[in-house]
Amino acid sequence: MTRILLVEDNEMNRDMLSRRLARKGYDVALAIDGRQGVEMAQTMDYDLVLMDMSLPEVDGWDATRQLKADPATEALPIIALTAHAMSGDREKALEAGCDDYDTKPIEMERLLGKMEALLARSGGAKP
Amino acid sequence: MTRRSTSRGSALAHRQAALLRLTTRIVSAHTEDDIYRAMVDGLHDEAIGYSFLGAFIIDPKNGDRVLRASAGWPDAPENWRVHKGEGISERAVEDGTLHYTPDVTRESRYLPSRVRGSEVDIPLRIDGETIGVLVVESDERDAFDEEDFEILEAAVDQASIAIARVRLLEAERRRADEHKALLDTLADLSSELELSRVLQAVIDRAVTQLGVSGGEVAIYDEERGELVVVASRSVGKDSTGTRLKLDEGAMGAVARSLEPLIIPSYHEWMGRSEKYSDVMVHSVMAAPLLIGRRLVGAIATVHSDPDHVFIEEDLRLLNMFAPQAAIAIENARLYTEARRQREYFESLVLNSPVAIVSLGLDHEVVSCNPAFEKLFGYSSAEAVGRPLDDLISTADTRSEAEAYTREAFDHAVHGIGRRRRKDGAFVDVEILGVPVDVEGERLGLMGLYHDITELLEARRDAEAANSAKSQFLANMSHELRTPLNAIIGYSEMLQEEVADLGQTELVPDLGKIHTAGRHLLALINDVLDLSKIEAGKMELYLEEFDIRQMIDDVASTARPLIEKNANHFAVSCPAGVGKMQGDLTKIRQMLLNLLSNSSKFTSQGKIGLEVARERNGGDETLVFRVRDTGIGMTAEQQQKVFEAFAQAETSTARRFGGTGLGLAISKRFCEMMGGGIELESEPGGGSTFTIRLPTAAGAAAEPNAEEEEVA
Repeated sequence: MTRILLVEDNEMNRDMLSRRLARKGYDVALAIDGRQGVEMAQTMDYDLVLMDMSLPEVDGWDATRQLKADPATEALPIIALTAHAMSGDREKALEAGCDDYDTKPIEMERLLGKMEALLARSGGAKP
Repeated sequence: MTRRSTSRGSALAHRQAALLRLTTRIVSAHTEDDIYRAMVDGLHDEAIGYSFLGAFIIDPKNGDRVLRASAGWPDAPENWRVHKGEGISERAVEDGTLHYTPDVTRESRYLPSRVRGSEVDIPLRIDGETIGVLVVESDERDAFDEEDFEILEAAVDQASIAIARVRLLEAERRRADEHKALLDTLADLSSELELSRVLQAVIDRAVTQLGVSGGEVAIYDEERGELVVVASRSVGKDSTGTRLKLDEGAMGAVARSLEPLIIPSYHEWMGRSEKYSDVMVHSVMAAPLLIGRRLVGAIATVHSDPDHVFIEEDLRLLNMFAPQAAIAIENARLYTEARRQREYFESLVLNSPVAIVSLGLDHEVVSCNPAFEKLFGYSSAEAVGRPLDDLISTADTRSEAEAYTREAFDHAVHGIGRRRRKDGAFVDVEILGVPVDVEGERLGLMGLYHDITELLEARRDAEAANSAKSQFLANMSHELRTPLNAIIGYSEMLQEEVADLGQTELVPDLGKIHTAGRHLLALINDVLDLSKIEAGKMELYLEEFDIRQMIDDVASTARPLIEKNANHFAVSCPAGVGKMQGDLTKIRQMLLNLLSNSSKFTSQGKIGLEVARERNGGDETLVFRVRDTGIGMTAEQQQKVFEAFAQAETSTARRFGGTGLGLAISKRFCEMMGGGIELESEPGGGSTFTIRLPTAAGAAAEPNAEEEEVA
């Protein structure tokens, strides 16, 4: 089963997205801030990270940079979830090392397409 | 005759001694009258037996002989006259030689007098001209002989020489006086600018110099065609203010003829003015006052004494004063004009709301207006004489202010700066500095300060308010988006879940919640876009992309929407259209917005998306055209369509949906990328929107973004 780490501080978004991903057959782990996200990614084995950018403690850009700087996690695909297609957010996310990005609110089909493309590239299994 | 008793020899010696004494007396006299007296008295003292001696001098005005000195006539009236053509002595005057009349009573021209004996008349001649006659009479008949003639002629010769010399001196002195009078008048002109005072000085001097009894000066009032008397002296009344028409009176006559005029008897003269009927004027001399051939006034002098008449010589003297009076009038006119202009400009400066200061070449304040005093808090007295930059600049702005000042001495400078008031407070000012040149000479500069503190404050406030508005909108958008995400997300998720559970009857209602949430989100995003554009915070992300690929993408996204209303969708994009540089996301957003609009307002029609390259001069432009056969727009609707929240009618929004912001945003996006959007439409005839973008959009506007993007 494909293991997904969802780093999201907003409870409803976390609940909604995790339930929808679970229904699509993913194994979803949850982190509520950047610090926890980095710890979990470094200690557990995930196939992909969905990273909200506006996070408390450590924000998504910093968390991404930390994971991409760590040889143990540098290959882990990260999709940035930005609040809006705010000009600059996409560039900032890609600059920080994210492999792709998507905007909220989530369009399930689109997000799943991006996830599958990355998982295929990194050799991760489909759910 | 007692003197005849002296012997012949002693008589000669006596005569020579007498002549010597006589000559000494004559030579020591310094005026004409002293000479006449010396001659007459000397002869009377030396030659006993002459009962009467008289020196008569010819009056040049009428030829009368006027008794200037006499002996043997104790109660002789002063200036007693013998009229021209009368009396025995007339003959000597006529032919300029000595005449002897042994018996006066037998002479036809004899005027009965006390003396009834003999008479000798010797003419007084200077430079061949007879100026008078010495009349010597004896009570006895035939009392004179050659010796008498000899001594009398010798005395007259001596007197003539002395008179010539005195007259020469007199003429010299008069010339010197005239010259001085002229200089005095000129001095008056430069010191006394009040015209009537100058003209009064001119007429006073003219009256004194000409030895007349009075005079007047009048100014020509060009507007009314009249002369106005402004200076008057001793004409029998104060004539100042009297107005004379052309041809009225002596001055009116010369004002018409522009030639000088002598009137021997004013009250008998045809042209006399009633305004002067009550004054004691006998003869008048007048001259026009001219600048070139232009009349500026008239001058007149009068004699109240009937015995005085004017002669050509007087005109010559008057003509020395006329130009002075004319120049005075002209100068006064020019001065008044200059003063009026100066006062006009001074009043402009005085009442100007703009602070004005003038500086000399030493950078010191020469003058400043009340607005300057008010703006900077320095009184004019405090400011004048101090370097401007000491007064109103601070350590921070000193070098900038000095640079302005330096530059303004050379050419006009304009800028905005901050200056200090006397009380230390700062003022923001718009500054204009210009050099001041007079007759090609740089005298200094003029600085204008317009207080823009309030203006800048208002701008800062407006900017702050606008920024606050943008921030508020951004915050609101964010705050709205979070619950909205939940609405959209949960409704979508519920649709999936209820479908999985087989409760399909709930799906449409959940779909409505989902659609409404999406619309609200679109609205929020558009508002956020607009507020960012207006706050200048919208940025372009330029990248090079394949146009055909972008068009295919847009077409496939829009196709379902277009075909929903049974419209035919035609895409025309040349295969070799190539690449362009621009903000891909924004161009997609604009095209989708246009196609979405067309599909809303067109049913069972045609919608086209066309792409082409256009070359206009050296610049290549990409043209994106969205054409529909829909309901179209009136001219009035077309005007408003690019304004924010300006859907053609409010009802339209309700009927067709949409935020009403899409076109306003598109227009601004196009402008940001250096292009534009146009609309052609008519009601019922469909609409065509044309977007033109440079092939390298915004390259000039955002060079940094472009570089980053390309790298």
